[in-house]
Amino acid sequence: MTAFVTLAGVYSTPDFGGERSLDQDLMTTSRALDQFLSSVEKRAFKIAQLGLRNDDDALDAVQDSMMKLVQSYASRAVDEWRPLFYRILANRIRDMQRRRTVRGRIMAWLPVRVDEEEEFDPIAEAPSHDPGPAKRLELDEAIGVLETAVAELPARQQQAFLLRNFEGLDVGQTASAMGCSEGSVKTHYFRALENLRAKLGEVF
Amino acid sequence: MTEEFEKRTHEVLEESAGRLDGRTRSRLTQARHAALAQLAQPARHWWRAYVPVGAAAAVAVLAVVIWSGQPSGNAPTLAVSPVDDLELLADAEAQDFVDDGEDLEFYEWAAGETET
Repeated sequence: MTAFVTLAGVYSTPDFGGERSLDQDLMTTSRALDQFLSSVEKRAFKIAQLGLRNDDDALDAVQDSMMKLVQSYASRAVDEWRPLFYRILANRIRDMQRRRTVRGRIMAWLPVRVDEEEEFDPIAEAPSHDPGPAKRLELDEAIGVLETAVAELPARQQQAFLLRNFEGLDVGQTASAMGCSEGSVKTHYFRALENLRAKLGEVF
Repeated sequence: MTEEFEKRTHEVLEESAGRLDGRTRSRLTQARHAALAQLAQPARHWWRAYVPVGAAAAVAVLAVVIWSGQPSGNAPTLAVSPVDDLELLADAEAQDFVDDGEDLEFYEWAAGETET
């Protein structure tokens, strides 16, 4: 009887029910993805910025990673999105670094061109929040020193450090994002901490 | 000691991420919206990308088949098509020559000369 009722329910309104359900699924997925992407986008940008040392390239890397995640993995379980997203981002950063190395070799043969000054953009100049001059100065210094030290880390150590310390992924998720074993993650992270502590010991 | 250091570096990086300028935040929002807009688009089948390539390959194969069916350019051939034969048969004057049978041997000899 239950089976009959179920089948009757399915066949009585197959199109409208199905369409409404699909639309609802799409909206739910869209909302969940929006929340997920807005929760990671700033940290993802910083990770890309430290890896690429260029804001525009970092924005491109984040946008490409968002597109790829939505295009290929939207149907995956929500818990899988973070390691997947950071894996895509890590691959994208690595590709861009390689491309830049090749481009650098070619450009080394060409004369240096000075970029023209950018136009003033009031939105770009808008400050986010101000914690006060003294605190701000201290933080400015700490951010500058730390980011320089992180940017100078070897690529794998930098990835492990940023994914574990900054993004807060656990060892398993970091290994999944980096495409290596958990043992390698621990080694890279430990070495990154040692390097950073050696460079920042006095400041931090 | 290590935990303190890790905590401090985490806080500093979080502070840095919170200080992103308006332009960067705006571009991140645009990027997110562009990515989510893909969900509303109908799914693309992977094989559709290969349709133009497949069509071009089919045309190329057809061209090769037609070309290889043609007689080679080096072989001597008579430029007479079946359509010409039909016209000849339908031509009343030509039929008269055949019917008369007067110079039939001459025509046979002339045809033989053309072939050699």
